[in-house]
Amino acid sequence: MKILVAVKQVAALDEDFEFRDDGRDVDPDFFIRDLNEWDDFSLEEAVKIKEASSTPVDVVAVSVGPDDVDEVLRKCLAKGADRAVRVWDDAIEGSDPIAIARVLAAVAKHEAPGMVFAGVQSSDQSFASTGIATAAFLDWPHAAVVSALNYAPGAKTAVFRRELEGGLLHEVEIQCPAVLTIQLGINTPRYASLRSIKQAAAKPIEVLSLTDLSLSAADVGEAGSASRVRRMYMPDKGRAELIEGDAAAQAERLAAIIREFKGDSA
Amino acid sequence: MRLFYLLGYAAIAVFGYGVYVQIRKYRRGAALKLDGSFRARLGDMIGKVLSHSTIARRDPAAGAAHRLIFYGFALLFIGTSTITLQYDILEPLFGIRFWQGKFYLVFSLVLDVAGVALVGGLVYMMYRRRWLRLPKLDYARPDRAPGDPDFDRPQYRREDWAFLWILLVIGCTGYLLEAARLVWLQARPDVWDTRWWSPVGALIAQACRALGMAEHGGALLRHGLWWFHGLLALAFIALIPFTKVKHIFTSAASLMVRDPQAAQRLPRIPESQAQAGVAKITDFNWKQLLNLDACTKCGRCHEACPARAVGAPLSPRDVILSLRDFAKATLESGAIPEAAELDVHGKAPGQVAQETLWSCRTCMACVEICPVAVEHVPVIVQMRRKLVEDGAMDPLLTKTLQTIHKTGNSFGESKRKRAAWTKGLPFPVKDARKEPVDVLWFVGDYASFDPRNQKVTRTFATLLHEAGVDFGILFESESNAGNDVRRVGEEGLYELLANANVAAMAGASFKTVVTTDPHSYNTIRNEYPDFGGRYEIQHYTSFVKQLFADGKLRVTSPLTYRTTFHDPCHLGRFNKGYEAPRDVLKLLGCELVEMGRSRANSFCCGAGGGRIWIPDPIGSEKPAQNRIKEAAAIPDLDVYVVSCPKDLTMFEDALKTTGNEGKFVVKELIELIREAIPVHRPEEVPA
Repeated sequence: MKILVAVKQVAALDEDFEFRDDGRDVDPDFFIRDLNEWDDFSLEEAVKIKEASSTPVDVVAVSVGPDDVDEVLRKCLAKGADRAVRVWDDAIEGSDPIAIARVLAAVAKHEAPGMVFAGVQSSDQSFASTGIATAAFLDWPHAAVVSALNYAPGAKTAVFRRELEGGLLHEVEIQCPAVLTIQLGINTPRYASLRSIKQAAAKPIEVLSLTDLSLSAADVGEAGSASRVRRMYMPDKGRAELIEGDAAAQAERLAAIIREFKGDSA
Repeated sequence: MRLFYLLGYAAIAVFGYGVYVQIRKYRRGAALKLDGSFRARLGDMIGKVLSHSTIARRDPAAGAAHRLIFYGFALLFIGTSTITLQYDILEPLFGIRFWQGKFYLVFSLVLDVAGVALVGGLVYMMYRRRWLRLPKLDYARPDRAPGDPDFDRPQYRREDWAFLWILLVIGCTGYLLEAARLVWLQARPDVWDTRWWSPVGALIAQACRALGMAEHGGALLRHGLWWFHGLLALAFIALIPFTKVKHIFTSAASLMVRDPQAAQRLPRIPESQAQAGVAKITDFNWKQLLNLDACTKCGRCHEACPARAVGAPLSPRDVILSLRDFAKATLESGAIPEAAELDVHGKAPGQVAQETLWSCRTCMACVEICPVAVEHVPVIVQMRRKLVEDGAMDPLLTKTLQTIHKTGNSFGESKRKRAAWTKGLPFPVKDARKEPVDVLWFVGDYASFDPRNQKVTRTFATLLHEAGVDFGILFESESNAGNDVRRVGEEGLYELLANANVAAMAGASFKTVVTTDPHSYNTIRNEYPDFGGRYEIQHYTSFVKQLFADGKLRVTSPLTYRTTFHDPCHLGRFNKGYEAPRDVLKLLGCELVEMGRSRANSFCCGAGGGRIWIPDPIGSEKPAQNRIKEAAAIPDLDVYVVSCPKDLTMFEDALKTTGNEGKFVVKELIELIREAIPVHRPEEVPA
């Protein structure tokens, strides 16, 4: 039995960054990279299920990205993943979450896991769609924002909880295999010591190409994407103004501001 | 008589078996190769044993009493052995007799005096245990609750008293024997006329005679007592390896295998070792297992420990004693139990709890004061390594370690911001990676990123600039030095940091390294050599002292403050940098009033060993508060002087939280130097 965990290497901004020449992203030199926080929880959930299971379970971490992504995959291996798979082809550059999901779905077909976990969202792009789109390509049952899970490897169904607005809880039973996106706080991710990361470096990371997954260049990159980033920029700084004076004066100033924003020059 | 010999051989056999069991126990520990010459170690040990220098420290009365017992016992033992030597070996085999004539008389006198010393020492020790009620001799544990099976360990007390009483009875019956013999043989002039060569025996004999004892009575008494005394002495010998008496051997051996750098330079994890740190009792090396048995429960580490002083669940003494009980229970029988029963982590008797290990500040107060060279800090750090591997630590510490891994500093700031403190200085700070400098300043995390410390850092830069020192820094190539990361037990991260810094320093050209941070100072000085980084390094206090001596800095407006100085653990105890900061304070004109706990006995601010990244329990006293209260007792104190960035943070906070704000201030020595050398007004600055 396998649990496939989709992970992403996210980028956090360093101080004083600059944009890329094409203006569609930040210059990669100014990124501090790490494992996506949500994925830390979904990986931990898979490893916990494996540790509690009486039957053997393989936790497979998968990521789509160039070779520097190996760093987060090694972290996953250090935290208890049994295997790590990385998919890359230069054609994948520029993919949106839908194209990435197509790749992940191909990996899931290839691996045939009993369950697929993904994080609810990534901390850098926040589309919150990769996991769910993967389920769509697989045509598997799915659920988003899972905050508690009861799943025995190999079982036909799993029961999980979702937190809803207003403090309500949703308890749901789902057919397996399924794709679940995991919410922060579902568990306490373990610490991967530097020694364990170093020891994990000895474990191989399997690299798959598009042909290995029976995909073509048209399935990924901008060609395979449903959306395209036009530009990335810093908005002009917002302004704050403390309105002083008596109620009438304040109301007058407020009205003037509203008119200004509406564009009424009159 | 034949029976006595039989019993004697039996006692020696039991002793021999006991020694075998103990040595087998130590050999069940991990291997360790000692460096340094055997002869130097032996000489060092003999010097310490004969002088009792380590036992007399901070407790001269106990030192004196132990000296009496030691020398009394040693002389009596040698005396008795030489009698055996002549009586059973030399005379029957070679016909040699030396126990006669003048030699015999002088020896009787020496042994009589030795007996007085022994008895006197023992009586004082009994007085000390029974009436002085020293807190350090209280076996109640801060890491256990009343009612726990190993809370206050009354069996230790029983053993202490049995030890004292047996020795006392052996000593006293020796005198009675002597007296009984004199009474018995009073008719023989060669015996009776020389009786004052054993004055105590003679006095007792006179008393016996006065009470009406005659020759016959003396003979009877002597016969009975002889057996009693002899059997007791044989029992004592037989019991040595099984009781605290073994400290005669284990403490001496421990002193001999002492590592003077035990806390300053922690051991690397060998390449061949898959697991980090200590999980099982057999993961400790033989020397550490020997250390456990060397402990005499004197309680000096218990007394010196800052964690214990503020009620944290840690006493270094009890870590050692717990593990000793554990080793005794598991490693003294014929076969070693299953691996699961060797786990030293946990809350069962003999195990050490996580909270205990995380309470340690690695301040080295325990290692420094231990009279028998027990090295607690490496034991604790080795156990922490296992906890780190398991992720068994405070969530905030986990986060900090991840942050350090990601950004190279504990503040989670961008690497690029490391030198942000230089902005606004009226002169450029050289980039040591790009141009050669005389002095490479290793700034360290706190001095680089903490806003309060940045002021001090800028001041120090200005002082260096004014003194004409050619210095530079490593800018974003500097990483956290790793001293505290290593003491947390995250050895893999430490290796990463140390290697990164050694590589960065290899890319710079400089003559000497200077740092204001004692933590960085310690690890660069003592631990980087293991990573190929060998530098001449100074803490700023000694560097500045030299600048004054060379006339590069001159006090122009002397200060008149009444000050006290806090020795940072890593500058003082770790690296013996006691004098330079005091000399500088005096150069500035300050009056220096020492706190009770100073120099080697300085009291840790509580930030060491990674504790600065772990929140203290709410409501409990912090070590820094305990320390500030000590300083507050100095009348009319103006300035509490520190020379460590973490100290500045810890004590400024403690000054406020103890309600002493306004009574005196906490200042970096650098700030006082600045005050004593006021900045020139711009028009006076030479162009």
